[in-house]
Amino acid sequence: MRRLIATHEAGLAALLAALLVAAWRTDPAFVSWRVQSGLLPQIGETALLAVPMTLIVITGGIDLSVGSVMALASVLFGLGFRSGWPVEACAAAALAAGLLCGALNGWFVTRFRVHPLIVTLGTMSAFRGLAEGVSAARPVSGFPDTFLRIGQGWTAVGLFAALTLAGTAVLARHVLGRRIYGIGLGESAARASGWNVDRLKASLYAFSGLMAGVAGVLFTARRNTAKADVGAGIELEVVTAVVLGGTSIFGGRGTLVGTALGLAVLHEVRQFVGWRWSNDVLNLVVVGALLIGAVTLNGVISRRPAGSVEGG
Amino acid sequence: MRAKTLLAAATAAMLLIGGCGGPQGQEGSPNGPTQGEKGRITICLLPKQKGIPYFTSCAEGAQEAAKELDVELIYDGPTDGSPEKAAAMVEKWALQGVDAICVSPNDPNVLAPAMKAARQKGVKVITWDADAPSDAREVFVNQATAEQIGTALVDTLVKDMGGKDVKGEVAIITATATAANQNEWIVHIKERLKAYPNLRLGSVVPSNEDQKLAFQAAQDLIKASPDLKGILAISSTAFPGAAEGIKQAGKAGQVQVTGLSTPNDMRAYVKDGTVKSVILWNTKDLGYLTVQVAAQLVRGTFKGTDPTVKAGRLGEKRVEGDNVLLGDILVFTKDNIDQFQF
Repeated sequence: MRRLIATHEAGLAALLAALLVAAWRTDPAFVSWRVQSGLLPQIGETALLAVPMTLIVITGGIDLSVGSVMALASVLFGLGFRSGWPVEACAAAALAAGLLCGALNGWFVTRFRVHPLIVTLGTMSAFRGLAEGVSAARPVSGFPDTFLRIGQGWTAVGLFAALTLAGTAVLARHVLGRRIYGIGLGESAARASGWNVDRLKASLYAFSGLMAGVAGVLFTARRNTAKADVGAGIELEVVTAVVLGGTSIFGGRGTLVGTALGLAVLHEVRQFVGWRWSNDVLNLVVVGALLIGAVTLNGVISRRPAGSVEGG
Repeated sequence: MRAKTLLAAATAAMLLIGGCGGPQGQEGSPNGPTQGEKGRITICLLPKQKGIPYFTSCAEGAQEAAKELDVELIYDGPTDGSPEKAAAMVEKWALQGVDAICVSPNDPNVLAPAMKAARQKGVKVITWDADAPSDAREVFVNQATAEQIGTALVDTLVKDMGGKDVKGEVAIITATATAANQNEWIVHIKERLKAYPNLRLGSVVPSNEDQKLAFQAAQDLIKASPDLKGILAISSTAFPGAAEGIKQAGKAGQVQVTGLSTPNDMRAYVKDGTVKSVILWNTKDLGYLTVQVAAQLVRGTFKGTDPTVKAGRLGEKRVEGDNVLLGDILVFTKDNIDQFQF
């Protein structure tokens, strides 16, 4: 099992390297540190959301509502700011809202045993509608420079790196990690062994909501705008990166390092397409193609080691 | 074990390709440092939204100037009008080291940080069609001042109604109550209306950039005031909506409407006589002037503080403060509207 994952990760690393070399040969400036560091913040929010998404997908679930939670957090931040709250209070309100949304997802998933795909598909539109209603579709801008600077730099990417390191340690060595894989490999078996499966799953959805809140605030800082269409479609990017990173959509398999590599491939391909041609037109096509490619590759790989599922 | 081998192989392959190949030039890449006064330069033109007729016709004029001035023109923008995507494009162009970026910001607040960052990287940044905060750009290529637009709207409406002796009420259908452009125009409309003592300003109604709401607003205005003689519909969605409202109320010819919109949006109403005049500026000239100004800023033949700029076939154009003025309002009537296809 471990070897299987490592193979996938090595393959991704090779793919990434090949991509960068190809990019360097057509346009060396693209691979320069100056350009790469300038483009990096653009993947920040997606990367942040990919950490909880990886853990949730490993348990066999999914959270499609992350983009809408981002929007709700962003809108609440803007409303607070417009009513004269200090930036810290606005941020606290936005994060609390994110956590609450995530907890609500977790509650629905565990209390009513509805499939997370259905639950979060529902809350995806519900939270988006709420954000649109609360904001009356009017954007808020004009935040102080000190706040905007948080979004221009590497805050999101730095936070992602820290979470990836911590999460990798937990997944590999901590009992929580074993349980997360365990739930994905067989939820009834996990329950039978006496673990509090529901509490762990609910916590993961709450964590995802909290990170969506953080992503919403960081996006607001990066683009100087708080509005209801923030994060539209970002769930597609996040799931693409996670699946591309080798996490099985059926649960039980995946790593955060794989997700980081998946994010890197997604980011570099997309940016290079934008660099050479246009940012806008080909973007969705590229993300879609990567997702299909990733799922296919995933299926091919997981079919190979018949009978070696219980590796963890 | 196998994983490590694979990784090693990948690294080796990468080094190998890198080692013998090396960079192979950059054909078609928009990179290229400024090469003094005569060299070819790269200018990016960003519309609020790519693919809509108004901006496409601006881009035609821009391309014309680019050919004359040995400029590589990159015309690109978000097809959905998203200001965040527009900001990402400005960031990309700044990293590519283009010489100038001309922005028509859909949301100046979102675009401003990216524009300021580009200026810090040494790129000349100007606005056209719509402005941003003055510290985010060098100059604004302004298609028409608010005073010009306000005056032209009132004078044209009066002419369409039959001259200054006509008595009655005039109403305004605007975009949104908060739209900065429109509110400034309304100030000058009110100012100009003082020149016509027989006319009285009635309601000012927002239409929220929605053609159906403008349609409804026109019908309500007609019902509410039997004395209504004219409507100024001052956004490109309000104008066709108001024209349809008047037409369906059977008031064509009795209630005149004029406003700002593109010939294509208004052609049918001009042909059937509901609308006599459509006011806009020459969009091709706007694109042409924008590229002229950007190129001359890069090459140093125009400084933002000069009182005029020599703009090719357009001749000398006036600069007021940090606004370069295109200057001429264009009125489309049934006699000339077919010459304009946008």
